Amino acid sequence: MVSPMLQFKLCVPFPSSKEAEIAYNSLCPDAEPRKGGVSKTLSVTDNILHVNWKADEARILRVSVSSFLEHLSLVVLTMDRFGPPLDNP
Amino acid sequence: MTIVVGFEGSANKIGVGIIQDGKVLSNPRRTYITPPGQGFMPSDTARHHRSCILDVLQEALEEAKIKPQDVDCVAYTKGPGMGAPLLSVAIVARTVAQLWKKPLLGVNHCIGHIEMGRLITGAENPSVLYVSGGNTQVIAYSERCYRIFGETIDIAVGNCLDRFARVLKISNDPSPGYNIEQMAKKGKKFVELPYTVKGMDVSFSGILSYIEDMSHKMLSSGECTPEDLCFSLQETLFSMLVEITERAMAHCGSQEVLIVGGVGCNVRLQEMMGVMCQERGAKLFATDERFCIDNGAMIAQAGWEMFRSGQVTNLQDSWITQRYRTDEVEVTWRD
Repeated sequence: MVSPMLQFKLCVPFPSSKEAEIAYNSLCPDAEPRKGGVSKTLSVTDNILHVNWKADEARILRVSVSSFLEHLSLVVLTMDRFGPPLDNP
Repeated sequence: MTIVVGFEGSANKIGVGIIQDGKVLSNPRRTYITPPGQGFMPSDTARHHRSCILDVLQEALEEAKIKPQDVDCVAYTKGPGMGAPLLSVAIVARTVAQLWKKPLLGVNHCIGHIEMGRLITGAENPSVLYVSGGNTQVIAYSERCYRIFGETIDIAVGNCLDRFARVLKISNDPSPGYNIEQMAKKGKKFVELPYTVKGMDVSFSGILSYIEDMSHKMLSSGECTPEDLCFSLQETLFSMLVEITERAMAHCGSQEVLIVGGVGCNVRLQEMMGVMCQERGAKLFATDERFCIDNGAMIAQAGWEMFRSGQVTNLQDSWITQRYRTDEVEVTWRD
């Protein structure tokens, strides 16, 4: 029997869908290592960024989640300092 | 008029540079310096970069006296380099590109060095020696590609110097290579070391093991001084680099050499290369530490060339990569 996978779900609210979309695009491009035993999917609904993890081991899940939180915090700090989003290019 | 902001953070330097049509408007940089005897680890280096990247960006904008609206393109290092630091810097670049609604451009770090060297020195079509802590390559341009004529088959020359500095507990401030260079000036005795040129390629790991092994014995017995070892290591490594560079020049019929990368600001390496160039009637081009050592402006400059030739990177394709060879890039901005 295949052992059930660990799952972790995170919902991050942003001031508007604009910011949520920016965070999604900044955090999405880099995939987890293929053989790392962890996968992560991102999505956006309205102003909420959703992240779902599936992992074989808690140890690996923790590393992935904590590194994601570091990066999320960097995105938020960047928005605070160099935002809000400009209207026209 | 095209203004490009460049983000660089593939190793222990974090830099943001702004280029406007060949002019460096600003180029601030911070270095993560570890205690003597220690190298820099990926996660600690990434943490360092995250803690100061926003300050460096602000400094770059203020010094250049430009507003985000004035920027035409945001360039960042796509690779090669250490994964964690590359990713932290790329995330900030992606975020500001979206906040400012500007196109994004992923740049090959090695190409950044070459284009910055060409801009600063005015060298037109040089054979390039790219020497740093992570890379050692002899490069020549042909048919829209920077072709690698020779390279290290194991560790980079700068890595060999850095790790030797750790053995002797030489300070990493401002950089281990700089301190070795200063000590080497006081060296009197040449200690013979292995010399490992393999055709167009070089190997440094055997030299490092050899000098690591024998340094303890020779230093404790008083046969030589740390200064002698620094001197002997530099002379040996740099002779090898000059040899493969000369061979590449002979192959290409090239009359110009450009030295780029962090090790490239070593004045002794420049002297030795200068002698070889003089004998061949060739011209040597090199830059100082501001542009040799990793910096943001070099990414901005390569980004400027790429952007002007019509390239941009879509957000979904903006992943970073630890391995990214110089010859993988199609050089769309040269004839």
